Amino acid sequence: MTIVRTTFAEPRPGLGDGADPITTEIVRQGLNAAADHMKRSLVRTAFSPIIYEALDFAVAFYDADMCMLAQAPTLPAFMGTLGFCVREAVEGVGGAVALAPGDVILYNNPYGTGSHPQDAAMVVPIFAAGELVAYSAIKAHWLDIGGKDPYCTDTVDVYQEGTIFPGVKLYDAGRLVTDMYRMILANSRMADMVIGDINAMVAGARSGAEALAAIVERHGVETFRTCVARMYAHGDALVRSWFEKLPDGVYTASSVIDSDGVSGVPVPFGVKVTVEGSGIAVDLTDCPDQTPGPINCPLPSTVAACRLAIAFLAGAGEQPNEGHFLALEVITREGSLFHPVRPAPCFMYGIPSDHAIELILRALAPAVPATVPAASGGDINALVWWGDREAGGAPWADGAPHPVGQGASPFADGASALMYISESATRFTPAEVWEARNPWRIERLALAEDSGGPGRYRGGLGLDLSFRCLEDQFLTSALARTALEPWGLSGGLPGRPNRLTVEYPDGTTEDYSLKTRIRLPKGAVVHLRTGSGGGYGDPAERDPRAVAGDLREGYVTEEHARRHHPHAFAAEGDEIVPPVKVEEIHTPQG
Amino acid sequence: MSTVIGIDVGGTFTDLVSYDAETGDITVAKQPTTPEAPELGVLAAVDAAPGAGLLARCSYFVHGTTVGLNALLERRGATVGLITTAGFRDVLEIRRGDRDDPYDLFWTPPPPLVPRRFRREARERIAHDGTTVSELEPADVRDAAEVFRAGGVDAVAVVLINAYANPRHELRARELLREAGFAGEVSLSHEVSGEYREYERTTTTVVDAFVRRRMGPYLHNLDRELRRRGFSGRLLVTRSGGGAFTLAEAAARPFETILSGPVAGAAATARVARVLGIRTAIVADVGGTSFDTALIEDARLPLLFQGEVQGLPLQSPWADVRSVGAGGGSVAYVDAGRLLRVGPRSAGAVPGPACYQRGGTEPTVTDAALHLGMIIPGRMSGGIVLSAERAAEALAPLAGPAGLAGTDAAAEGVVRIAAAHMAQAVRGVSVERGVDPRGSAIVAFGGAGPMFGCLLADELGVDRVVVPPNAGNFSAVGLMQADIVRSAARTLVRTLDDTTLEEIAAMASTLFDRLAERDAGGGEEAAAVGEAAGAGPGREAAGEEAAALQKAKDGEAAAVRELDLDLRYRGQEHTLTVRAEPGEDAAAIRERFATAYHRSYGHELTHPLEVVTVRSTLRVPLRGEHELVPAPPSPGEPGRKIRLWSFRRRAFVASRALPRAALTERTPGPLVVVEQTATTYVDDGFTVEAHPSGCLLISRARDAGRTGTAGTSRTETSSR
Repeated sequence: MTIVRTTFAEPRPGLGDGADPITTEIVRQGLNAAADHMKRSLVRTAFSPIIYEALDFAVAFYDADMCMLAQAPTLPAFMGTLGFCVREAVEGVGGAVALAPGDVILYNNPYGTGSHPQDAAMVVPIFAAGELVAYSAIKAHWLDIGGKDPYCTDTVDVYQEGTIFPGVKLYDAGRLVTDMYRMILANSRMADMVIGDINAMVAGARSGAEALAAIVERHGVETFRTCVARMYAHGDALVRSWFEKLPDGVYTASSVIDSDGVSGVPVPFGVKVTVEGSGIAVDLTDCPDQTPGPINCPLPSTVAACRLAIAFLAGAGEQPNEGHFLALEVITREGSLFHPVRPAPCFMYGIPSDHAIELILRALAPAVPATVPAASGGDINALVWWGDREAGGAPWADGAPHPVGQGASPFADGASALMYISESATRFTPAEVWEARNPWRIERLALAEDSGGPGRYRGGLGLDLSFRCLEDQFLTSALARTALEPWGLSGGLPGRPNRLTVEYPDGTTEDYSLKTRIRLPKGAVVHLRTGSGGGYGDPAERDPRAVAGDLREGYVTEEHARRHHPHAFAAEGDEIVPPVKVEEIHTPQG
Repeated sequence: MSTVIGIDVGGTFTDLVSYDAETGDITVAKQPTTPEAPELGVLAAVDAAPGAGLLARCSYFVHGTTVGLNALLERRGATVGLITTAGFRDVLEIRRGDRDDPYDLFWTPPPPLVPRRFRREARERIAHDGTTVSELEPADVRDAAEVFRAGGVDAVAVVLINAYANPRHELRARELLREAGFAGEVSLSHEVSGEYREYERTTTTVVDAFVRRRMGPYLHNLDRELRRRGFSGRLLVTRSGGGAFTLAEAAARPFETILSGPVAGAAATARVARVLGIRTAIVADVGGTSFDTALIEDARLPLLFQGEVQGLPLQSPWADVRSVGAGGGSVAYVDAGRLLRVGPRSAGAVPGPACYQRGGTEPTVTDAALHLGMIIPGRMSGGIVLSAERAAEALAPLAGPAGLAGTDAAAEGVVRIAAAHMAQAVRGVSVERGVDPRGSAIVAFGGAGPMFGCLLADELGVDRVVVPPNAGNFSAVGLMQADIVRSAARTLVRTLDDTTLEEIAAMASTLFDRLAERDAGGGEEAAAVGEAAGAGPGREAAGEEAAALQKAKDGEAAAVRELDLDLRYRGQEHTLTVRAEPGEDAAAIRERFATAYHRSYGHELTHPLEVVTVRSTLRVPLRGEHELVPAPPSPGEPGRKIRLWSFRRRAFVASRALPRAALTERTPGPLVVVEQTATTYVDDGFTVEAHPSGCLLISRARDAGRTGTAGTSRTETSSR
């Protein structure tokens, strides 16, 4: 069994002791702001909507020891994952000694990025006063870099998933390596888009590098290093001050993943969280060996899931740096679902990592009862479409995640239709933009009445989305949590799971969860019903005024309300108690 | 009739500035803001302004109003009903599925402005190309009208999918509502915005319907009260996107005022940049709670076309002014990791900084500045007496936990960290526009801005700082100088070439005509304005404005037509907005886009260009562009000796507080320059001089490096 530590280099104890606290705070702010600028640069120049709308990317700075200096808030699931790939990218080209100003390294090996080959990283070494002081790194989702399909749910090894660049120089001392560039383009179905995204990533990583170099030059290399060490100590202290409040103990939870996409059998796993003093360890060894289908979660994403779960509890409000991760240890077993080795397929790595996030929170619910909500719809409900346009035959492709209902909390109803928490900064594409871009007509975009898990507090509602295909096209459905109902907590009832139904022009229908390359003829209608949130607390304890409000606004039907909250109705069953005239939060005052 | 009055309603004070261009007379007045009824504070400031017959001489009364914004913040507006396409009832509540705080498990969006029971569906469908898929079902609109009547709805927003491409069904829905007897306000999405993205357009239209009921009566009351006091000029209202518009149009399109708070300061900065010939100016507006910044290039406002308030997106032009929580009232504390932090929480006006002696005990930026001698203790406007002792008491507890040597070090740290926050915000707006701030000039204003000019210059490596006349109420000055502006936009996604350029020109022409006609009488919209106005001066004003704008339609020299295009490389989503001059071909526009794109992002692409939105603006310049409003004369007191902190020397030095009038020659720092509304801090290594325009110019002394606040690393700094 391999025990994996979550940080590569021990931040140097004592180095930060002499740092000026004022300069440290100014450096810390400067690093966070520089990361944010790198993010904005990428968002504004990227070509594929998956980058600029879904924010399916990460931007971060690392120091020369591969400790994370700063990361901008983008896709939470990518939090802290870039350290692995910066290290491997640099090793791939021959180590730090082989680096020169102007280099840009390309790296997309899934076991180092934590993702699928579509998530390609650019790493730029940053020099100040002739010395290598840091790296800027961007990992972003390319629309296509080969593989058996544009998006795969049924691969059996990594070679089917895309072309792999194991750390190669795309720019060598400022000069584009045209052979490498041509290799990329020759392997992509969407070369035009990928060119634009490569340019945006290179420009973003370089602008980030300049911003960071300016900070180092402003303060000097030595001052910068001591301030950074002090900054890590600060982050560590912040996180530990929270962990110390948790009651020591061992907390566990287990769950089941629908399927690995190939075998069609459920995949059970468990988490064990050990809290001791100001430290916390997450053990993910209770899982099957790496699966035949592509739901294996490479180590960087396993670590990210643990960091993320902890950040939701302990680190809210602060942009993270390496210091925030020092108190957390992650334990995995090499060759397993959460630590696969080559050539395990891992295209759908997000399914186990997303699931693990909520399960870690559920395990910790007894330790911190006031800070853990019931389960949400639990998945990003990714759909990917492509085809050739009827007029002119131009190829097109698009993809999007979809929002789910959120679990009810100990103090409020869950929010309806928000992106799953691992992808929480992502925005849903407007129907009018979709229709202007793709051959669809959206027929329904609505909250699903009665879908929220009943409880003292109700789960958030799921989304009903229906769209009609105006031309022939293909769809890949990458839905998880289609069998498992989102759990309630403390007596709350479960919500509804995710579901995708295709209604064919001949009137027949079929449901899909993980399915690659579904053929959609013109006239077919796709119905996506995303999961809702679980309830919290006994439904019999729901405030009758809240039941009346839900009824009045149509979030629940009367039949549903009578079934789960009979106490809100008068004995004879006719009249709701109190009468409908209640003050209600949704009413603006005229 | 040569006087112009500007009134700016701020969070704490309502500022009035009047200026007579012929006599050069200038007056200022300040009264507490009255949030419950802002017109009372405005009228109090008018009544308090010195000089008899001020209103009678006034030709333009320009008003920056927060009534629309406050209606939203307080959620006090009309009870709105929404009619939307069948299947899309919940667009307002589904939003875009994102969270303001990505790491907050419990984040919940603010409740929608229209409750679900008042969101009604109508069967109909328009495709994205404007073709009709299915006709509007009249019974559905009638049913909705019945629900609205029964529910006491007094304003209706109609937002149908793809209405930007074909407004026929929205227009028909309004007719049906009227036929059904609905007499309240009706806002149609294509009239409000004309741009695609149904959630953003729905929000904008609903906000319009929501705040109209507050805005119209407020403006008409104010107008009536002003006229009762002898005013016979024109009341103008500041727009979020720069310039001002008429009372009638502000009442009809109130959503265009909602983001107007910081625009006047940016517009005034643009004027300073024009007068002094500054190519790139950085707005540095430091108030009590926030630092507002923007980048002014070539003396033009940086406009964006989608803003946000309280998490609600608005498809309305607005000046890209960024705000961070770093101002005089920002509170300093030591966090759990033992680092000194400043803001974003503010002590506000009540209790205010500890040195105000109004019950505040937490240390703030103002306390630190007072401790360091950057502010002179004693009585200030508003009757507040500043106490250096209270400031020191509040600051002292910061030192130990943060590992700092003492109160002086803590005070220095608080000011430096606040300045660093401000500098990050400046870098943010600069980086996004591909500008290196080092070549710019900082224009510092607001109550505390002139105090931070040198600190920001050192933090950003900038050599020049300008403190404009009337720095303390510069925003009121700025709105006094606004042009009359109206604008409209329409989404039109096309590949840009000479053929489509004709289609674009035709669209622009239609938009210009509509702008000129917007309240020229007739039509439902004007009728709605009339209803809001009631009888009397409002109606007259509408007629008067119509006549003025008619000139614009007739193409008289007085009105300027501006055409801007949102362009992108095909395949991208985000756009850059580029000016298109009359008669230009596609190649010339492409060239301009490429230049702007390269400047922002450092590279160009060979992809075809796509236009997304056509934007037409009609501008009637009100006044000459090449003058600044001078500051009123201040009494010439002698300078006095003070103990002042130098950030560059990291020590207290013996220095002077010099009245503005006593500054007759270029003078080296460290010193402070005191005037009626602001105190300017000049550090060692800088000189300050008075410019004929009325500005204070602060320049880096030639032999001084760009170090200073970094302190600990002086050896690393190179002087360029």
